[in-house]
Amino acid sequence: MANGKISYLCTVMSERKQTRLWLPTLLILLVGVLLFVLNLVVGSVGIPLSEFRDVFMGGGDETYRTIILEYRLPQAITALLAGIGLSVSGLLMQTLFRNPLADPSILGISSGASLGVAIVVLLTGKLSGMAVSAMPGWSTVGVTIAAFAGAFLVLLLILALSSRLKSMVSLILVGIMIAYIAGSVTDVLKFFSQKEDIHTFVIWGFGSFSNVGKAQLLYLASTITVGTVMAFLLSKSLNLFLLGDRYAENLGLNLRHASLLTILVSGFLMAVITAFCGPIAFIGLAVPHLARFTYHTSNHFVLTPATAVIGMDLALLCNLIARLPGFDGNLPINSVTALIGAPIVIYVIFHRQKVLSR
Amino acid sequence: MKEVLKINGLQIGYKGNALMPPINAVLREGEAVALVGANGSGKTTLFKTLTGNLKPLEGGVELCGKPLESYSPNGKAKLFSLVLTEKPDDLFLKVFDIVAAGRYPHSGLMAKLRDEDYDIIKEKLQVTGVYHLIDRDFISLSDGEKQKVMIAKALVQDTPIIYMDEPTAFLDYPSKVELMHLIAKLAKEENKTILYSSHDLELLMKHSEKLWVMAKGKPMLVGKPGEVDVEEYLEIREKDKR
Repeated sequence: MANGKISYLCTVMSERKQTRLWLPTLLILLVGVLLFVLNLVVGSVGIPLSEFRDVFMGGGDETYRTIILEYRLPQAITALLAGIGLSVSGLLMQTLFRNPLADPSILGISSGASLGVAIVVLLTGKLSGMAVSAMPGWSTVGVTIAAFAGAFLVLLLILALSSRLKSMVSLILVGIMIAYIAGSVTDVLKFFSQKEDIHTFVIWGFGSFSNVGKAQLLYLASTITVGTVMAFLLSKSLNLFLLGDRYAENLGLNLRHASLLTILVSGFLMAVITAFCGPIAFIGLAVPHLARFTYHTSNHFVLTPATAVIGMDLALLCNLIARLPGFDGNLPINSVTALIGAPIVIYVIFHRQKVLSR
Repeated sequence: MKEVLKINGLQIGYKGNALMPPINAVLREGEAVALVGANGSGKTTLFKTLTGNLKPLEGGVELCGKPLESYSPNGKAKLFSLVLTEKPDDLFLKVFDIVAAGRYPHSGLMAKLRDEDYDIIKEKLQVTGVYHLIDRDFISLSDGEKQKVMIAKALVQDTPIIYMDEPTAFLDYPSKVELMHLIAKLAKEENKTILYSSHDLELLMKHSEKLWVMAKGKPMLVGKPGEVDVEEYLEIREKDKR
């Protein structure tokens, strides 16, 4: 090499990286702040803007204070955290299965988590003779573990099957079938359960960002932070997965360890959010694609953080739409995520076909 | 010249059924050897055994004086690199990203590239003649360009040995010839030991230096294109040729 230390290539690369990374990132973060503020301001009860200053200064009207600090703020933070976790979890799955349509809700993993939660909520109620939902705040740790166990088992099953199912479509079809099986077992459980528990479970199944109280926020925030940091630390393995198993192995990757670790992190993130917010579809599927299109990269050292911040924005947007004054906060979050997510996925399928047939 | 790969009484096959008599062969530094044989003659099985994905039935493989099994996954990654017929199909992978992955066995958890890594990436892309494609999406390249990028990846990996599985497949004739020249150049100028499989017999007769010829149930034939009668060994008769 003619010029040792800082080569021509190096300068070109770093300049290019900077212009491409900073502009969209700044924009995404600004939009995030704006959406967060709107999530506090907009709602079925109109609160004068001057009240916000008073409330955050520690005073203000008692009712407004409760609405803002006890309801809207935890809900906005929950949406933000769930958006990050779901999107990163979806990204890990899409990369691991090298399948752009892989997603917790499509591969039956959400259904596995739901089944786990159903077993805890419905069965313990049956066995102990009292409705779990009547107990003081149904055990968050228990529900998290149940959701994780369900999600993890389905993930392992999918991974075992994925080596035999070469086609992208067959893997997804098998995932949908697994979702049906888990769903019907859940239905059988419902049949034998107490009314109050079924009601709790059905409401949970709609998906919502408003079930997390202030006390549980710290737990949710710390688990999602840990999961997201772990996902970022997996970036090197994830980049190798993209090259195909044989290249990845030849570049020193221990396939079995790396796959298992990826599944654990992805399943963990998904399970924590499902336990608190119910099964939420489409965010994990759509956001990684938005990140790829925005940054035009597959490099996970960029893609993982990008997915996290875009997921944050999208979840805040969905939550905002679900709470627009006309809906009175009654619109299930899943209707909104599907309305926004499904067109994105359709676009991705068309785009993929166009690029591949070139 | 230094012996890089040594195959000692190696029996290859599946489930205890050997495909052919034991193989004894040596690959030296700077040597490019073509592996020839009909489909099902055991080329893929031999490759799988040489990369450690398949256990030998008998005998063993020595890389740089040590048995293959004694190397860790990352140790193997620094000994031999692969160029395969299957290619990455992600839509957003850049040529740079793929070639940079060649540095992964030499980097830490965060895969941070040092200045010298950038230098190597640039140099090897120039050697294979695809430096101008560095910013392109891999998926948008022609088959010949993709092949050269994957070879640049293998060079960046900086291993004494490169295994190539049918590198001339799917290429048009001029690209095939170009690739044969590239392989010869890498062996000579970069001091690589290259083992590549191919079905292009006529091309190999003109452009290869040494052949390993495989046929089911027969001992492996080793020799220079002019010296060994490949067609007779593979039982290719005149009427089959056209």
